[in-house]
Amino acid sequence: MSSIKTTLTGYVGYRGREGHWAFLLHRITGLGVVLFLAIHIVDTSFVYFAPHLYEEILNVYRSTLFGLGEIALVFCLFFHGVNGLRIAYLDMFAPKDWTIDKTRRSAMIALIVALVMWIPSAGYMAYNILYHNFGLFGG
Amino acid sequence: MTTTTQPEKVVVKKNFDQVAWTWMRYSAFLLIPLAWGHIILQDVVVGVHNITTDYAINRMANMGWKIYDIALLGFAFAHGMNGVRQVFRDYIHKPETFRLVSIILLVVWFLITLVGAIALLAIQPVVS
Repeated sequence: MSSIKTTLTGYVGYRGREGHWAFLLHRITGLGVVLFLAIHIVDTSFVYFAPHLYEEILNVYRSTLFGLGEIALVFCLFFHGVNGLRIAYLDMFAPKDWTIDKTRRSAMIALIVALVMWIPSAGYMAYNILYHNFGLFGG
Repeated sequence: MTTTTQPEKVVVKKNFDQVAWTWMRYSAFLLIPLAWGHIILQDVVVGVHNITTDYAINRMANMGWKIYDIALLGFAFAHGMNGVRQVFRDYIHKPETFRLVSIILLVVWFLITLVGAIALLAIQPVVS
C-alpha cells in the first residue's frame, strides 16, 4: 500500500509539466479504454449467447449517462492513439527530439490534435443524445 | 593518448517482456485504423440509437466485418491487458506477487477473449 501512496502523492507533487501530464493522461486514458473494452467484449457477446437480453444492453448504451461516458471514451481513444504515435515517432525516427523542450511542445501538439478530432465527434454524439433522449431539434 | 574501441556486440536472448514490448508497439500501429475506425463508425457515424440487435447480428455475421472484429478483439484486448500489467509493475515490487498478478491477468484476458471469439465465430445472420 505504501507504494501506491508514494505513487499518488508523486503524481500530484511531481512538477514535470507537459511530459508528466502526457504520461498521466496516457495512463488514465489507457486504463479507461481497457476497462470499457472488457465490459464491451462481454456485453457484445450477448448478441450471440442471449439476443433477447442484448435489447436491454442497447437500452443502457442509449442512456444519457452512458452516452456521456462514450463521449469521454472517444476522447480517451483519440488521445491515447495520437500520443502513442508521438512516442513511437520520437523513438523510431527522431530520438534526438527526446529533450524536455521538444517533448513539451510535441505533447501539447498531441493534445491539440486529439481535441481537434474529438470536438466534432463529441458535438455530434451530444446532438444524438439531445435528439433521441430529450426530444430536442425535432427528435 | 586516446584509443578508440568498438563497443562489443552482445546477443541477448529475447525474454517475454521484450516480445511483449514489441507487441505493444506493433499492435498499436494496427489499432490506430482498427479501433478508431470501429468507434468512429459505431459511436459517431451510426450512433447507438440506430443500432438494433438484428443490425449487430448481421454485421457480426458478415465475413468482412468478422475478420475486422477478430483482428480488433485479438490486438486491442491483448494490448490493453499487457498495458494493465505494466501499470501493476510500477506498484508491485515483489517478483512473486507480480508473477501472480500476471497469471491472473493472463487468465482474465484468455477467458474474455474466448467469450468474444466464440460469439464472433459462431454467429449466423438473421434471415428476414
